[in-house]
Amino acid sequence: MSLKTKNLEKHFDGVHAVDHLSIEIKPGVITGILGPNGSGKTTLINVISGIHPIDGGEIAIGSQTFSSIKRHEVPDFDITRTFQNVRVFEQMTVMDNLLVILSSRSVLTSLRQRATPKQLDRAQEVLKKVGLWEKRNSLASKLSYGQRKLLEVGRVLAMDKKINLFDEPFAGMFPEMVKRVSGILQNLKQCGKTIVLIEHNMQLIRELCDYVIVMDAGKLLAQGEPEKVLAQKNVIEAYLGE
Amino acid sequence: MDFVVQLTINSIIAGSIYTLMALGFNLTYGATKFFNLAHGVMATIAGYTVFYFSSQPLYISIPAGIFAAGLVGYVLDRTIYSPLRKRKASNMVLLVASLGVFTALESLIALKFSSQHQSLPEIFASVPTFNLFGGSFTAIHLLIVASAAVCALGLHALLKYTLFGKAINAVSDDEEVSKIVGINTNRLMGQVFFVGSAIAGVAGILVGFDTVIIPIMGMPLLLKGIIAAIIGGLGSLWGGVLGAFLLGFVENFGIWHISGEWKDVIAFGLLILFLIFRPQGILKKS
Repeated sequence: MSLKTKNLEKHFDGVHAVDHLSIEIKPGVITGILGPNGSGKTTLINVISGIHPIDGGEIAIGSQTFSSIKRHEVPDFDITRTFQNVRVFEQMTVMDNLLVILSSRSVLTSLRQRATPKQLDRAQEVLKKVGLWEKRNSLASKLSYGQRKLLEVGRVLAMDKKINLFDEPFAGMFPEMVKRVSGILQNLKQCGKTIVLIEHNMQLIRELCDYVIVMDAGKLLAQGEPEKVLAQKNVIEAYLGE
Repeated sequence: MDFVVQLTINSIIAGSIYTLMALGFNLTYGATKFFNLAHGVMATIAGYTVFYFSSQPLYISIPAGIFAAGLVGYVLDRTIYSPLRKRKASNMVLLVASLGVFTALESLIALKFSSQHQSLPEIFASVPTFNLFGGSFTAIHLLIVASAAVCALGLHALLKYTLFGKAINAVSDDEEVSKIVGINTNRLMGQVFFVGSAIAGVAGILVGFDTVIIPIMGMPLLLKGIIAAIIGGLGSLWGGVLGAFLLGFVENFGIWHISGEWKDVIAFGLLILFLIFRPQGILKKS
């Protein structure tokens, strides 16, 4: 499912965090979003995922176009995401963090339900994939920062949506965790998912991304294949300050 | 010695009533993060519903009272708190709105049933009294303690073992993320208000059976429930229970050598001490 923005705008107190941005993110590829701090990368996915309301322009998901996305509608738009500053349900166990997503959306049904074997199997599969199975009964608040990042990635997998937004998923991770999450992103790509990756590590961008979009001051600065874009003079100047 | 036993029994009874108030208050506070002052009037509503259905058998009037409290809580969330939350009203606005609701409902009850106290129908033809190590208590007191235990354990089971409970915990932790992962937080809040208000209703009915009902009965119950919740740790189920019993014991043993009118001074003194020295409460980390 493709994801497009058309003249998308978001401003805070007169500052244009996203400034008339028109981009297209295709399914089956990993699209990296780059830019210096404050360039509007996180704001962009906050707008796409309903955290911030759209101030102007539109978002197209598949064949449908929207000028507003509310938070609770995000799963219905087939979107899921991770957060730059990790956000898991801290007072719940690792397992419950996933079961609450896999469970019925009907409150009255869930009142008399416990997790079904199918839901437990799915949670187990996801936790093994992200390497947290051994920690399944630990409170999320007791996990290390990197492990909580892994749990967020697990949440994305458990939600099984077509559009997956990753906001600096590798930050705070040990090399083996980075390798594991890189593999997960590659798998999602092979499954034809739409993947957006915000990342500062250029080596990871080169290794993982098929396409990159560079933002500066909320605007589109460059886009294309990573090697070509990262060699562009304006990108080096804006992003690396060289 | 008998006096100490009696004070201990009184403390347990008081702690149980405060537990019932704190359980519902903490449940709604955990999910919504605002001080729902209207929680107190839910106890009054339940008590007066039982009174209204006095001609009916207790197995009809008591569930009707609990359901009425839950229903009013649910309706208040749907019609007042939820629209305010959608308009991004601050917690202060929500608190003031809930105070308005409390006052309005309390006045309506007084208009309908008069400001005078009323007696609920007798739950026992002759209330049995028990003696334990020189202290005495009635069957209604036993019912109060048992109800508090059942409600606390039931709520614990609901939150820990059902998917509904896990969703409540998720919303308490991070409402925004809960929405993004597909939890219908608005509907859930309504359900939370129903459960929390129904538990306050249990407290109101039991107090009514033990003593009398009066339109202004909600405020003292609310305040003791809030003190229990704060000193135990706001939003924490077992913290609220611990806070309720600590309050019950401190209040009752505090008046050992002085007049019973000092009870509230002692209760609020305890609250102030906690606010200064351990504002996060007993069970919560700073």
